[in-house]
Order: sequence, then structure tokens, then C-alpha cells
Amino acid sequence: MTTILVMTWKELLRKRVMLLTLMMTALFLLAFWFVADTLSLDIPEDPMSGDYLIEQFSRGSFILMLGFFFGSFVVAFLSIFSSFSVIAGEAEQGVMQALMPRPIPRSQWYLGRWLGYVSLGVLYALLLFSAILLVTDVHSNVPRDFGALMKSYLLFASTVPMLISVAMLGSGIFSALGNGVFMTMLYGAGWLGGMIDKVSGSLGLDELVLKPLNNITGIISLIMPSDSIQRRMLSELFSYDEMDGLVNFSSSFNLFSLDRIPSNSFLVYAAIYTVAAFVLGMLRFRRKDL
Amino acid sequence: MTVAAIEARGLTKQYDNGRGCRDVTIQVGKGEAFGFLGPNGAGKSTFVKMLVGLITPTSGTANLLGEPIGTLASKRLIGYLPELYRYQEWLSGEEVVRLHAKLCGVDRSVARHRIPQLLEEVGIGRRGSDRVKHYSKGMQQRLGLACALVGDPPIVFLDEPSSALDPIGRREVRRILERLKAQGKTIFLNSHLLEDVEALCDRMALLNNGQILRHGQVSEVLQTRTRWRFKVGGFTPFLLSWLNDTTGLAITLAEGAAASAGAASGLSACWLEAELEDEEQVGWINSLIVQQGMTLYEVTSVRERLEEWFMNAVSGLEHRGERG
Repeated sequence: MTTILVMTWKELLRKRVMLLTLMMTALFLLAFWFVADTLSLDIPEDPMSGDYLIEQFSRGSFILMLGFFFGSFVVAFLSIFSSFSVIAGEAEQGVMQALMPRPIPRSQWYLGRWLGYVSLGVLYALLLFSAILLVTDVHSNVPRDFGALMKSYLLFASTVPMLISVAMLGSGIFSALGNGVFMTMLYGAGWLGGMIDKVSGSLGLDELVLKPLNNITGIISLIMPSDSIQRRMLSELFSYDEMDGLVNFSSSFNLFSLDRIPSNSFLVYAAIYTVAAFVLGMLRFRRKDL
Repeated sequence: MTVAAIEARGLTKQYDNGRGCRDVTIQVGKGEAFGFLGPNGAGKSTFVKMLVGLITPTSGTANLLGEPIGTLASKRLIGYLPELYRYQEWLSGEEVVRLHAKLCGVDRSVARHRIPQLLEEVGIGRRGSDRVKHYSKGMQQRLGLACALVGDPPIVFLDEPSSALDPIGRREVRRILERLKAQGKTIFLNSHLLEDVEALCDRMALLNNGQILRHGQVSEVLQTRTRWRFKVGGFTPFLLSWLNDTTGLAITLAEGAAASAGAASGLSACWLEAELEDEEQVGWINSLIVQQGMTLYEVTSVRERLEEWFMNAVSGLEHRGERG
């Protein structure tokens, strides 16, 4: 398994996937720096006043939400595109035909590949998470509660194993191209569901419309929980429960509204979802004809 | 009781489109070289893929040196060169072989010595440090052979091992296979290059439409079909019918421009051809030709090539082809 894990790291490094991702991340952080700088220009300059602190926290929150809005996309697409063709693509190319007759259990190969992608994805998520916080901190203010930071990072990074597990499951069922389309659509659907959920509250819709809409977005978030997890991540980061009275998260930033925060039960569901996708993917691969 | 190197009983893989192979039963002894022949789409690769654990049989059983196929124990016994494959383009040739050595559990110190030696032997040599993406198809095939052999397996499955190689490469591969055979390895050879099968294999089987059509010793197949040619001067067409009536054998004009030109003119020499059981029959026909006042210039035996045997065996049969 270690051999396969190392091979996966080598693959991502040699194919320059990580290099390209890091270069694009640097560009994003540069742009983000200027955006954060601009957004923090007109904060009232009285460090002793309560308004100053609240305004700085609000601006900081907005900048962070903006950063993580993009950051969650990058992490999701890195997870999806690094792993969506791992089985189907390699079988289509003939790489599997040479490797699988070797005396290594298929489950170990699968686990090695999964760990390889997840470990690099989680490391990248840590880098991006820290960079977004750092840039925001320079221009405004970020929460400094280590517990909250840790929790929100774990939630931020939890989409990596989730998406990789689903992508690898899909790769054992569909063709490489088909799985790429499937995963993009699935992630897109989850994102759209979350977006509808966020803006529907501010549209002043009738209860008759809201209820079925909520049902639909609820089902979508069950099918692809990644966007809901990101919302929970932000709420943990800002200690939403404690700060909601001071900062109006919903009216300030419609697109990033934190009105509907997933419960702990939803997090348990997301964990089961990830484990189920991983186990099903492995079982599928063990029986797959190559 | 001696355990066969490869033993398949009623091995079947049925695909929804009707392809695959049905009820294949074969036995290959230890140290034997076995040729597996058949037209494109006959199911040869499907059968090999079942033996090496890439696909699960629909029914039937098979063992490799007594170990059921698909198990880790059976996979430890094999080296496999697939027909359609590609190695990780982002690795160098040497790294690919090292990866396979690790997966086979080859000791690091042994691998350090064996890998350069193998790369040299298959003709990759110093290009082992180049990335696989810079390799030609022939180089990839050589690399595949090195990967198949790196674990020093007792059984080697080779699916079209020299299809992408030039004549020099083919000769080198044949030499490697001969050496493996001399070392007592069991070789299972899927090949369209029948001269390789003829030169190397002890036994063979012919697969058509997923089923074994014929099987046996290569030498037997070739010996029973020995043909003889007689170069006759002053030939007349009458002689041919007279010879056939007298001997009860099927004697024909040999194919070829020179032969038919001679027969058409009715004057000059031409070649007659007959399938004969032994040399006594040859002597008898010689005497009959001379008895008729004709000149016998030359008598030669034409040992049937495997290619002709293959063509005869599959001609007239329906076969589904690559695209069915």
C-alpha cells in the first residue's frame, strides 16, 4: 500500500498537478490581497470604539467568506480532477492491466490511491486555509480562537476525502470522461442547492413556495453535502452562535448568508456518506473486470 | 502426483454481447511452452486475463501450480505481459520496473542487481533512465517484458510479446524466451507470430469463437501434414489422372507460376504435390512416374508451416472477428 501511496504522490508531482495548482493559488492570493486591502480601506479609524471592532470583524468575516467561497471551489476541483479517472482512465489506457496481476490485494491498491490523493488534498487545503486567514488578518481581523480555527479547518478539509471517495466510486462505474462530467454536475448541483438555500430567505417568498424549495435544497444537500459542510465551516470559524447578535451575517452578505447552518446530525450524515462512498467504491473495484 | 503449471477446467467468461470464451479446458505442464492461437476476437486475451486475475470467470475453475486463479498466492507465481497496455508515462523505464519489483516483493538488494541486468537484456539499456512517455511502442514492449520477468516467476504469460517489434527485436525476444524455457519456466504464449509458436512451443491450442477447436503437440500437428513435391519432366495432363487413379492418392499440380506454366505447355518440367504418410509411398510414386517414361528431376518434402495449418484450421469456419 505504501508503494501505491508514494506512486500517487509522485504522479501528482510529476504530472505537475500540484505545481500548477500552487501557481494558480499564488495568483489567487495576490488578487485576494488587493481585494482584502480595498475592502478594509474605509473602516472607521478609532481602535477604542465598539463600532470599530464590530466593523472590523464584519469586514474580516466578509473577506474570509469571499476567500473561502473561492477556496472551497479550488479544493473541490483539485479533489475531483485528481481522482476522477483513477480507475476508468487507467483501465482505458492499459495501466491497470499491467499492475493488477501483481500480488497486491485490490483493496490495498484502492486504499493506497485514496490515501495518496487525500493526503495531498488535505495538505493543500491546510496551505490555502492558512493563506486566506493570513491575508485577511493583515488587512482586517480574523478570529483567533484555536479551537474554532481547528474545527473550521477540519470541516474545510473534510470535503477532500468526501469528493475523492465519490469520484473514485464513480470511476469504478463510469468511463473516465463520463465520471468527470458526473462529478462536475454533482458538485455543481450541491453548490446550486446551497446557493438557492442562501438567497431564498432574502427574496421574501411565500411559505407555499419556500417549503417545497427547502425540500428540494435539502434533498440536494443530502446527495452532495459539500456546500452545506462549507457553510458549517464558516459558522464555526465566526463562532456564529455567539456573534449572531452583534453581526448580521444574513443581511450583510446575501450570497454568503449563514442563515441555515447544518446540524451535528448532518455532519454525522456527511461522515457516513464519505465512508459509504469509500467502501462501495472499494467493493466495486474488487469485483471489476479490467 | 505432479501438479500442472496451468490447469483450467471448463473456464468460461460470457459477456452480454456474446463474446468471451466458453468451457475452455487445458493443462500445461511445468517447464512447458504452450502456444495459444486463434483469429482476432477468438477470446484468447479474455482467457489469459482470467488466468492472471484481471477478470472473474463466469464459471469453471483454474489453478496455477495448484493455486486457484485470482488469489495472491497464484499472482506470486506469474509474470504477465498484456497485449494492450501502457506504463505510467511520468515514470522512467527503470522506475516502472522497480515499481513492479516492489509489488512482486523482490528484495531491494536483489532488485538493485536484477533491474539493470534485465533492462540490458531486453534491449533498453541506458535508456532506462528516460521517461516512458519518450519510449516508442517497441521500447514499451521491451519494458513490458522486463516487468513481466522482474519477479523471476515460474510461469510467464505473454500476450503478443513481439507485435510492435522490428525483426531484430523479435529475434531478441525469441532468444529471451528460449532462455526462459531452458531455465525451466512455463511459458504461455498468445501470439499471431506463428513462427514464434512453431519455434518455441511444445504444445498448442487453437481457439475460435471462444472455444478450443484443436489442441496437441506442435510437432505432431506439423508431422502428420508432410507434403512432397516431385519435379517431373515431359509431363502431360494425362499423367496426373493416371497417377490419381492408380495410387488412390490426391496428387495435384503444385501452386505457383513456374509450375502452372510448365503444365500448360505440356512440355517442360512441372511440380506435382501430394500429402503422403511415409517415405515408402514416395518411392512408389517415383517408380510410377519413371514407369510412364517421364523424367524425375527432384523430390522434396515440404514440411507444413504452422501458418498453413492455422489457415486450414480456421478457413471455412465462421469467426466473429474483432468487431463481431
